[in-house]
Amino acid sequence: MAEEDAGFASGVRACGGLGAFEAPSRSMKSAFPRLVLLLAAIVALPLAVRPVVASEIWIFAIAGMALNLIFGYTGMLSFGQATFFGLAAYTAGLMMIHWQAPLLVVLAAGTLVGALAAALIGYVCIQRVGTYFIMLTFGFNQMFFFIAYKWTVVTGGDDGLPGIPRPPLALGPLAIRLDSSLRYYIFVAAVFLLAFCVMKRIVDSPLGVIFQSIRENPVRAAAVGYDVKRYKWIAFTIAGAFTGFAGVLYSMMFGIVPLESISWIISGDIVFMVLIGGIGNLYGPLLGAAAFKWLSEAISVVWERWPLILGVALVLVVLFLRGGLVEAFTRLRDAAGGPRARREPGASVPVGIAAETEAGS
Amino acid sequence: MNTITRRHFLTTTVAAGTSLLGVPALGTAQGKEIVMLGIWPFTGAFADVGPLLDRGMKLAIEEWNNKVIGRPIKYITRDDETKASSATRRMEEAIDSEGVKIVIGPWSSGMALACTEVAKRRKVFYYFSGGTEDIAGKRCHRYGFNWAASPYTAMHVVVDNYMKLNPTHKRWYLFVSDFAFGWSVEKYTREAGAHHGIEFVGADRMPLGTREYSGFVSKAAAAKPDVLCLLNAGQDVIVSIREAHNFGLAPKVTLLNSWGVGTEDFMQLDVKTRENFWVGTNAYYGANTPVAKKMAETYQAKHNAPPGYAPCAAYGMTRLTLRAIEKANSAEPGDIIRALENWETQDWPGKVWVNPKTHQTVRDYFLLRCKKPDQMKHQFDFADIVAVNSEPKMPDGINECKDIGQL
Amino acid sequence: MNTSLLAGAVLNGMVTGMLYALMGVGLSLILGLLNIPNFAHGVLYALGAYVMISGAKAFGFLGGLLAAIAAVAVIGAGIEYLGVRRLYRVHPDYILLLSFGLSLILTEAIILVWGPVGITFQPPALLAGAVDLGVTVYPKYRLVVMVFTAGLVLACYLVVTRTRYGAILRAGIEDKETAAALGINIGRVFTLTFAAGTGLAGLGGALMTPVRGLLPTMGIDILPFAFVVVVLGGLGSLPGAILAGLLVGTVQSLMTAIWAPGADASVFVLMTLGIIARPQGLLGQR
Repeated sequence: MAEEDAGFASGVRACGGLGAFEAPSRSMKSAFPRLVLLLAAIVALPLAVRPVVASEIWIFAIAGMALNLIFGYTGMLSFGQATFFGLAAYTAGLMMIHWQAPLLVVLAAGTLVGALAAALIGYVCIQRVGTYFIMLTFGFNQMFFFIAYKWTVVTGGDDGLPGIPRPPLALGPLAIRLDSSLRYYIFVAAVFLLAFCVMKRIVDSPLGVIFQSIRENPVRAAAVGYDVKRYKWIAFTIAGAFTGFAGVLYSMMFGIVPLESISWIISGDIVFMVLIGGIGNLYGPLLGAAAFKWLSEAISVVWERWPLILGVALVLVVLFLRGGLVEAFTRLRDAAGGPRARREPGASVPVGIAAETEAGS
Repeated sequence: MNTITRRHFLTTTVAAGTSLLGVPALGTAQGKEIVMLGIWPFTGAFADVGPLLDRGMKLAIEEWNNKVIGRPIKYITRDDETKASSATRRMEEAIDSEGVKIVIGPWSSGMALACTEVAKRRKVFYYFSGGTEDIAGKRCHRYGFNWAASPYTAMHVVVDNYMKLNPTHKRWYLFVSDFAFGWSVEKYTREAGAHHGIEFVGADRMPLGTREYSGFVSKAAAAKPDVLCLLNAGQDVIVSIREAHNFGLAPKVTLLNSWGVGTEDFMQLDVKTRENFWVGTNAYYGANTPVAKKMAETYQAKHNAPPGYAPCAAYGMTRLTLRAIEKANSAEPGDIIRALENWETQDWPGKVWVNPKTHQTVRDYFLLRCKKPDQMKHQFDFADIVAVNSEPKMPDGINECKDIGQL
Repeated sequence: MNTSLLAGAVLNGMVTGMLYALMGVGLSLILGLLNIPNFAHGVLYALGAYVMISGAKAFGFLGGLLAAIAAVAVIGAGIEYLGVRRLYRVHPDYILLLSFGLSLILTEAIILVWGPVGITFQPPALLAGAVDLGVTVYPKYRLVVMVFTAGLVLACYLVVTRTRYGAILRAGIEDKETAAALGINIGRVFTLTFAAGTGLAGLGGALMTPVRGLLPTMGIDILPFAFVVVVLGGLGSLPGAILAGLLVGTVQSLMTAIWAPGADASVFVLMTLGIIARPQGLLGQR
């Protein structure tokens, strides 16, 4: 036990201290008001936007958190998360159509499929870094996309996989039906909270710190004794599991698994959401998903050229606001004065920017 | 933005904004208005068709002076983006925020399969015109209807009548768009072809929106067919036709677009590329029915071009729906459905009958052959109608809709 | 499969392959020197095509081509100078995301200007029609494009390997700092290279208009293939991109003839196998 602690502590010391990270003990105190805000948002959201849109927001928030884990925390930009999203969605869909599988079973199955696919694909991808890594994730995504496109007997091809029921939630003797959009929203929000808590635990744990140390400086992390590739692989697999989980929820949204579920368009959307929300911050993907989904629906109803606005937003974020909405809020809060003269570690330092300051070393 | 007037922009912004904020859309006299939703493609592979469908539906509603059974009609549209996720999300959102109970569209068979699920779950009246047999087949339910002819009937009309005029053309090569629509029309082309001893010397399935047809045309040319049967959709038809001419395959070999849009395509092709081009279609503006004639006149006066399949279909579905509302004296989905079922009446395609067991509309299908330039009486006189028929009806036995279900 | 079909497939493969090689060369220049995965490469290809047809209406076929190259190169230079340049000190991932955002903006801009509908474009009368090659009949324009693009690709290769500019370029790829220290205006080299790379994409788009027609999403469609070519060929290697381009084009075309459903997926399978077997690409160094 002591040895483990010593190893961990020395590793953390070697990685430049906890300055830029969300230290576990400190985050507990600062977490509470933010969690309350999150709960309030969950309750208020279906009133602000339709339950249908709200459910999608939480679904993509889960996928966004997964990408955030590998991009924001571990420094690997994956442009192929839709692979796991789609594979899980198709698996769940097929299970529900052909075997009338119950809800919890498909959720578990989808998560497993996501994790397994990520483990296999991730193993190949993490052998490379940088552009190669991105292209590999992208390439695999394309491969699975074309397979889904052509294997129409199984996936329905371009038309998608229709006829997916919404099995009731079976908790012991209770069977709660989820037919209405509001009921489904409550279910999605609940499991989102679950996923959020799990992700928070991961991120706050020593594992999370190791991930961040890899992003900060992989050479140093390796020098300290961490098997960088192995941890990258773990991060990738965990992300795949979360993304798969989200995919299952998506399959039950409209009773159909559309082909887009596995296309790189969704991979791109997830990247946007995380970036616009604020990478490296646990709440970033949530803000990003909310902003993205709400805006896309609100604007595209009025003007079909919504992607233009999205593109402009992305360019602006990349050039001027790399911490995304989280950074925007933080800046506003700091500008408005307030007692926090000293920047709170973790929450307000967008991890993405931290890479800049480390560039010298 | 040119399809949106400033007033339209402002009103929809306010409506969208307030509806997305949970406030009932301002200006809706809740309960009195009948809200009709047209889900049309304004982006994606079928982006050019959306505005045409919009015109057709508007035309029908305007003919009724925007009112039916004494209540005002509110017509709203949503862009399905030719994506199943957008189609379903927007349909559901419109049902939630605008109180939509009548949905017409979309255009793509793939989207329709998604939308029909929503219609079934949310119990709204749903009318579609398309080539997939599944809407009135495997995926049938009490709330969904198909306006287009059954692909069984359509392919028979095309194949039987083509073979009557060209009995020696026994070698056919198929191009099939690889989705629900393509599969249905391919299935029945082969079935109809079997009766004539047609040899299908080859077939290629390609995704909707394929731009690179050279490979497929090369293969087709190598198989030496008499007929190149185009069972694809959208711009693919135009691209395949041009490529077939580029490779010297056409006009020697007949180009037969068995489930086509007709007029919209004719206007994109020039005289040379229309040579030996045959089209099977649900709606040609030259149809000889009083409703069709009048509609073509009104449409042409308004838009300076004759209506093709798309606006005629939108018009036809809307008109029948409004008449059903009038017949039932109610705009509730259940009542509209009961009014439509088993109704035999005269409408755009001539005589129509809605089969209550499958909700398939039994009506005429057209086979057209493009005219030579010296035969054209005016600039839009593209084709002769060489055959019109509503027979053979699809036998209930082979239809996969076994139980249309309850309301 | 008969010989006519095979010949047709091989020729199609070469046409496609040359296009991919051209796209790969442009992308490779940018990726190799600037370490930027340019996600806007596809939309610039599309933009070249659209400017071409508008230019052709005003200035004829050749005029259209020149207009396309000029327009896209200028836009490319602008992207580098105004956007990409700011992000050199930041992580290259951000440059990728910038280019992605630009691709969205430009695709929508294309739709706003030219409409969302697909457009077909006929080659000039001189190059229209088909040629009987004995073994098969093949469209004249495609043959011309194939030869022309091959020449273009060769010219690029010669410029990069035989000229002073090429030497500077290669020096910059090897070691930016030293090259800058030697007095080379590395900033200008970057901008020019970006313009050249994107200009090639625009030219590719313009040349292909009679072959593939135009659609606002044509850029999104070709981008994955351009990246496969570059990755397979070896990041930063021009000969690698050329070789990989031909390989990918041929494989895709032959697969279309043999088993069409697998044609597109096979390209990515090829890439994956390639990277696993030879991580640095066919002719890459690093």
